[in-house]
Amino acid sequence: MRRPAKVLTAAIALALLTAGCGSGGSDTTADGKKVLRIALWNYDQTPEFKALIDGFKAKYPDIEVRPVDILSDDYSEKVTTMLAGGDTTDVLTMKTLTDYARFGTRGQLQSVTDEAAKLDKAKYGGLDAYDMDGEYYALPYRQDFYVLYYNKSLLKDSGADLSGLTWPDYAALAKQQTRGSGGSKVYGTYQHTWRSLVQAIAAAQTGGDLLGGDYGFFKDQYAMALDLQKSGAAMPWATANSQKVTYKTMFTTDKTVMMPMGTWFAAVLLQEKAAGNFKDDWGMAPLPQLTADGKATTFGAPTAFAVNKKAKNSDAARKFLSFASGPEGAAAVAKIGITPSYTDEAIMNTYFSNQGMPSDDLTKKAMHPDTVKLEMPISEKSSDVDTILTEEHQLVMTGEKSLDAGIKEMDSRVKSEVG
Amino acid sequence: MSPESGATALKRRQRRTTLVGWSFILPNFLGFAALTLIPVLATLLLAFTDWNSYSTPQWVGLENFRRMLDSDTFWVALSNTGWYAVGHIPLTLAASLGLAVLLNQKLRGVGFLRTAFFFPYVTSLVAVAVVWNMLLSPDLGPVNQLLKAVGVGHPPGWTTSTDWAMPAVVITSVWRDMGYYMVLYLAGLQAIPAELYEAARVDGAGPWQRFRHITVPALRPTTFFVLVMLTISSFKVFDLVQIMTEGGPGRSTLVLSQVIFREGIKQGRFGYSSAISLVLFVIVLTITVVQFRFQRRNER
Amino acid sequence: MNTSVLPEDSTTGGAARPLGGDGAGRSGPAARRRAVRLLGRVLLHAALIALAAAILVPFAWMLVSSVKRDSDVLTVPIQWIPEEFRWDNFTHIWTRIPLLTYLGNSLFLSVTITGLQVLTGSFAAYGFAKTRFPGRDALFLAYVSTIAVPWQAYMVPQYIIMERLGLVNTRLSLILLQAFGAFGVFLMRQYYLTIPDEISEAARLDGLSEYGIWARIVLPLSKPALAGLALLTFVNTWNDYMGPFIYLTDNELWTVQLGLRQFVGVYDSQYAMIMTGSVVSVLPILVVFLAGQRYFVQGIATSGMK
Repeated sequence: MRRPAKVLTAAIALALLTAGCGSGGSDTTADGKKVLRIALWNYDQTPEFKALIDGFKAKYPDIEVRPVDILSDDYSEKVTTMLAGGDTTDVLTMKTLTDYARFGTRGQLQSVTDEAAKLDKAKYGGLDAYDMDGEYYALPYRQDFYVLYYNKSLLKDSGADLSGLTWPDYAALAKQQTRGSGGSKVYGTYQHTWRSLVQAIAAAQTGGDLLGGDYGFFKDQYAMALDLQKSGAAMPWATANSQKVTYKTMFTTDKTVMMPMGTWFAAVLLQEKAAGNFKDDWGMAPLPQLTADGKATTFGAPTAFAVNKKAKNSDAARKFLSFASGPEGAAAVAKIGITPSYTDEAIMNTYFSNQGMPSDDLTKKAMHPDTVKLEMPISEKSSDVDTILTEEHQLVMTGEKSLDAGIKEMDSRVKSEVG
Repeated sequence: MSPESGATALKRRQRRTTLVGWSFILPNFLGFAALTLIPVLATLLLAFTDWNSYSTPQWVGLENFRRMLDSDTFWVALSNTGWYAVGHIPLTLAASLGLAVLLNQKLRGVGFLRTAFFFPYVTSLVAVAVVWNMLLSPDLGPVNQLLKAVGVGHPPGWTTSTDWAMPAVVITSVWRDMGYYMVLYLAGLQAIPAELYEAARVDGAGPWQRFRHITVPALRPTTFFVLVMLTISSFKVFDLVQIMTEGGPGRSTLVLSQVIFREGIKQGRFGYSSAISLVLFVIVLTITVVQFRFQRRNER
Repeated sequence: MNTSVLPEDSTTGGAARPLGGDGAGRSGPAARRRAVRLLGRVLLHAALIALAAAILVPFAWMLVSSVKRDSDVLTVPIQWIPEEFRWDNFTHIWTRIPLLTYLGNSLFLSVTITGLQVLTGSFAAYGFAKTRFPGRDALFLAYVSTIAVPWQAYMVPQYIIMERLGLVNTRLSLILLQAFGAFGVFLMRQYYLTIPDEISEAARLDGLSEYGIWARIVLPLSKPALAGLALLTFVNTWNDYMGPFIYLTDNELWTVQLGLRQFVGVYDSQYAMIMTGSVVSVLPILVVFLAGQRYFVQGIATSGMK
């Protein structure tokens, strides 16, 4: 057994020797340019990144930008693993606030509070969400929120007015607009399977606390959603979930008249129209409200860039953050139909001048909500609570639990399991 | 030969065989030890620490295990995993053995048939999830319509029901995996000398008797292998459940691997997720050791 | 432990009996028995074909979806015949993503990993099945038991080691990771146990070394198991997603499975392209399987018994 033991020792020694040499490219190119590496997702299929990087390169020709392309599906898992291994990628895209909370609290991000101070707060939305005890570790560059999409062609003759809808109005309209049956059925509305479409709406509009462990405020919103699927005005949740129905298919193949969805869907619709896959006219309306007082409250989720604590090129990374979240970055993303965090008159004009973008007053109103609440507040508890609420949401929507029992279970599970 | 030199020679020979044995194992073992065994051991150690993948692990003793015992979700997932294994192991074993025996004959187009039965294993998981959910759809699915036609008044809700989601997942997974284990059985069947069958035929043994008295005993090492692999993979099941039900509705199909994934890489509680892995490891290891003992007794 | 498990107690009267089929010379009942047997075979054949067709339904859906528009893929109720056939999906996919590069990468990884796994696995298996030394069984148990730990649990420690070795984002990382697994060792060991020890004893007496026995006697006898191992390793490597996802970052290193996931967006996925790509990526497996399964022919293995 002696010889193998020797070989083993030699192998381990070799492993330890090579351990010194880390991976990762050098931080300058052959011709002396600084290299900036940005972790992002689906580079070829996500035009916003290209728009931002092209704009940045035009402004800073001495910086070479190298996208680190990660698949969007498991983006945060890969970034978590990379950072655990000591990765030195400079800029990290924060796909969700939950990711941000996790990387931020572990000390894996650099503070960018000083960069945030340079921004015009009056025109810059979504920054508050990134406040961690007075420090900011990421700067948002896009701010999506929920609106009500509707198919103008299908709704044309009804004379319906979507400008000041309350939820009961919305439910009545959905029932009235439902037509056909079997394969040619058109639902009045489609509410996708995410829990947010019931829970985050309820929280934003009633002022309820999603982390509080007391979920009585969900009740009316759930009652409406259950009634819609029972009456046949919306596709049953169980069907949509088990058949993996996509909301894009529902809307672009005329299976639904209305659909509450995030502002990102506008860019998708623009592409579909450009490709000739979707022929109808469409528009946006503000999300229906509890009362018809003319104020629009909705919820949303920002997306941000952050600087890796171990970045090789922090200066360039900070420059990129300022660029992306400032007016220039905002103009670049608005040009492809995406809602930037930084908005002013000129940028919104750019947004509405996109080919195929509806520019009627209702759509413009929808794009200027009065209040945008967070989809989920940041806290250490967020993702545990999210798991529980998602599980119980499924049980309520499939009818495996009654509404009251479901809410009771949410209360008790959040209290006992998260505390 | 004096007794002393005999003993030394024996010892030398023993050392030689040890060396020879190790030399066979070593090429594989080096890669295995560095990149699998060490990380696995590290994970089992991490079970006693608090670690978020970035900080230095803090020793917390049995804290993670205490937390696990208190966690409702852990027990739900453990029992789901157990039910999955109870359904998946025997059904897949029977299906794959049956297919292998049938497709080991000289049939016309046997290559096509073997390929067809293996194809579920390589069909895209999205396709698998969509089609099986469609087949099992409560209202319009062909399965439930068939059940209604034969007089079942209230056919199950399958993946939309907490009681039936697990059976639905088990059915799909048996369908998917049987071709995989069929390949292992087909390989095992080739080791049975044809003369055995011919001799049995001469003795007047029918197909069932030949299967019972020749095939089954001769396949014992293969069956042992299939059984161990099936047990392990059942307890580790992840992909199919993730794509088909994501553990739902509620927690009705949530399995341990999903909890490990969720707690570890998603929530950053690597100590806790390692503790769950350790428990899973101990369970599977116990079963495997029992299977080993049983196998060895049968060999004697 | 490594005794032959060929059944000594089974109904064999010894292979010395003349092989005559059943009742070649008899008439009447024998002819009827043959007819019954023929009918049985026909029925069995028909049943197997019907079952195979049913088994392939999801695959058929995959094929149908590959010539649809994205928005026609996931519909309720399911659409079995596309409204319009988009055959050009199969030409577009090569330009939408560098599919050829991805296929090449997958092929390189699958072939290399399969080769190494089969070679080192069958070599190590000989050590476990046909040599004796103290601690052998404990070591074997260590091998097998690592399979019991889900990869999700140790992927981060493993990644850290790989990063320290400077191997992240190289093909070598995946090769090292997957070529030395316990699966092949275990599979081959079980197969070697069925090869009677008398054969290697005889070879030993003829002066063959253990390595010679492995190369000249045991390896040729275990072709079906090698084919099975190669097949399953190839398919698993070809279809692996999480491993390449974690270890390969540069696009030019990506495998087919990674390439196809590019069509899964944050908000919306291009399902028709995913299905088209899946169909393309299954074809090499079809070829490998059809080639490999030919080794599963009854009677290829001679018992080797004297």
